[in-house]
Amino acid sequence: MLSFSAINVENRRSRVAVVGAGIVSPLGSGLQKTRHSLRRATDCVTAVSGFDVRHCRCKTAAQIPDQHFLAHRQTNRKNARLHRASHMMIAALAELLEHDPEFRPQVTVIGTTSGGMSFGEDYYRALHRQENLRRSPEWIANYPPQKPVLDAQSEFGISAPCFVIANACASGTNAIGRAFESVRSGKYERVLTGGYDALSELVFVGFDSLQAATPEKCRPFDRNRSGMVLGEGAALLALENFETAQKRGAEILGEIVGYGISTDNHHLTQPDPSGSGPRRAMEQALQSAGCGADQVDYINAHGTATLLNDAAEGKAILELFGKVPVSSTKGMIGHSLGAAGAIEAVICLLALQSQFLPPNINFREPDPDLALNVVANESRDAKIDVALSNSFGFGGTNASVLIRKAAA
Amino acid sequence: MSVRIAGMGWVTPLGRGVDQVWARLLRGDEATAQTIPGLDGTKSYQGFLVPKEASNNLPPHPRLRRASAISRFAAAAGLDALAQAKSGNLKVEMESLALVFAVSNGGVAYTKRFYHGIVESGAQSASPLLFPETVFNAPASHLAAILGLNGATYTIVGDGAVGILGIKMASELLETGAANHCLVVAAEEADWLLFDAYHKWRLLKSSPPLEPFSDPPRGTILSEGAGAVLLSAEGKVKIDSISPGGNFSHQRDAIEVVNRVLQDVRDQAACIVASANGTFVDLAEREAIRQEAPQSIVYSPKSPLGESVGASGLWQVIVAACALAGKQLPPMLHAAKNTGLRFPSREAEVGPAAIVSSCGLNQQAAGLRLST
Repeated sequence: MLSFSAINVENRRSRVAVVGAGIVSPLGSGLQKTRHSLRRATDCVTAVSGFDVRHCRCKTAAQIPDQHFLAHRQTNRKNARLHRASHMMIAALAELLEHDPEFRPQVTVIGTTSGGMSFGEDYYRALHRQENLRRSPEWIANYPPQKPVLDAQSEFGISAPCFVIANACASGTNAIGRAFESVRSGKYERVLTGGYDALSELVFVGFDSLQAATPEKCRPFDRNRSGMVLGEGAALLALENFETAQKRGAEILGEIVGYGISTDNHHLTQPDPSGSGPRRAMEQALQSAGCGADQVDYINAHGTATLLNDAAEGKAILELFGKVPVSSTKGMIGHSLGAAGAIEAVICLLALQSQFLPPNINFREPDPDLALNVVANESRDAKIDVALSNSFGFGGTNASVLIRKAAA
Repeated sequence: MSVRIAGMGWVTPLGRGVDQVWARLLRGDEATAQTIPGLDGTKSYQGFLVPKEASNNLPPHPRLRRASAISRFAAAAGLDALAQAKSGNLKVEMESLALVFAVSNGGVAYTKRFYHGIVESGAQSASPLLFPETVFNAPASHLAAILGLNGATYTIVGDGAVGILGIKMASELLETGAANHCLVVAAEEADWLLFDAYHKWRLLKSSPPLEPFSDPPRGTILSEGAGAVLLSAEGKVKIDSISPGGNFSHQRDAIEVVNRVLQDVRDQAACIVASANGTFVDLAEREAIRQEAPQSIVYSPKSPLGESVGASGLWQVIVAACALAGKQLPPMLHAAKNTGLRFPSREAEVGPAAIVSSCGLNQQAAGLRLST
């Protein structure tokens, strides 16, 4: 078999290194805690505490206690007004910059779906009750989706122009993909990318109303899967032209090598059952990397555990990759929407660094229609050089990124 | 490669269609304000709304059956831009067409209805039909389905500068070969909730006229609609340069970012289509223009059309493209006197270049330069 780098030479323009990462997820704050929790197959799903779910089918989510991302923060008047999504982003950026203090992005590309939605909810409830409206201006000012990105940048004296992608649940992967293409094409040398989303009542009830959220455990790719649980978090990656990163002696955590995007027009909320949309995104990612399907060692699936998503994605994975190990980490951390792609890309990076396959927990029985090689319930040691991360969302948006282990 | 504008579509409170709206702007027309009642009927707001007929004549696509106003505006503008490009003999293959949809507030009406149900009657009353329409990328998804587009579709969110950022992203998709053509659409819909929010944010004026560059600023008038440009390697208007600008933490710092944007796209002979909307933005733009382009003729379309937030950047681009094509700018309505700026006069002819300065209300600013 040809080596990966040999295949890539023709296709690739600039190589794109990951020189820093930061993460806040239900698995914990920081790369180390995240790796540890992944290896232990930690189930982070608990009863929802932030709002009333008595009338919902689903009553659980993977939530992050505020102290996990506020621990190191100075509290002042300005910070007290920020949305918790801003605090998550600040914590993720702090970790990234701690790893690579020299990294200064020329542009920032971040995915989200709902920005500071809970502030919108606070504002609407206050209006409805005609009380506590004094806080309205701060809710309104801190509600827009770009605000947590700007807050995080501002905290560290960064003022790079921000592109905030809202491609539903594919947002985080789309953001990484756009950032990758920007560096690869030579447009920029350094791009900050990732995604964030904080749990909110409106979104929670929305998925519940669609009966996409489960009252049971989230069991991706299981025969008896019954839906998703929501999650939250933020994850950031520092992308840099490989050569300039090497020249300045930056530690390279991995490489983004391919990106694919497709749209399927089947339905606003349901994937085309043929799996054609996900398949096109994955094929494009392979093509953009100049990589064969047989060179992919691990797939971090979108795997929401809804009947339709897993069926469509599973079909596409089987057709393209056959028995490559697959897991969805959403059983552990829930579906964090705009953050999902970014969190899962970081999970892939950790898997590549530490040579293990993250587990697909709550898996009891294989789906007879999906003969996938699911990494069931426990993490496994494995030799992996290339990982694929998938994200698919409402509106038929599909995105895949290919990540390669850093050369030793 | 050179990135050009091959087609445009425009849905505004002054009607639909680039030629129609442009003719009305040149005549000095301005939209008529409508009264929008607030939550309990005791409060009301004045704003510029799109006339109902402006989003008629859309294809009878099932996706538009329940679609919100923002999706209908986006579809109308996007389809018009494509139609205009095709009428100019541009061949646009759907396989190589990308879509970038820019928005700020999004589908406010359905989001409010959905959440109102939860607040009023509890989660059990939440509508599964409404929820998907609350997602930022719903309008882009509908338009992609109408067009049969299955390649790259991006929705980007931001403040008033988001339209320019959308054009920047689209240009990069073309320049890197990710697409041969890119349709950039920006849209916004008005709702009392937005008016209330901007009022509480102390940015709203109680009634027209919107007075650009007044000092102190007197507030803005919100509006709604959509703009679309089809970007391609062919077309009469060229995008010379785009500045993705930057961000400002405080309103008083906006001037520094607008300054930087004007420096990035500088051309002393160019006219400037500004985003002045009766808020702090005006003072930032006024000072930046005085410093960077004191000789430029300055025009803001916001008096006649209102502040359409996410759609406003593309509206300015359409104004700039029309001004270059017709070599004239509309009269500047209700502008403050003694600003030190040069506003359009009958005699002033627009040169071969135009700058769009887009400073948003929530910390972002960007700009671009067009030429013929």
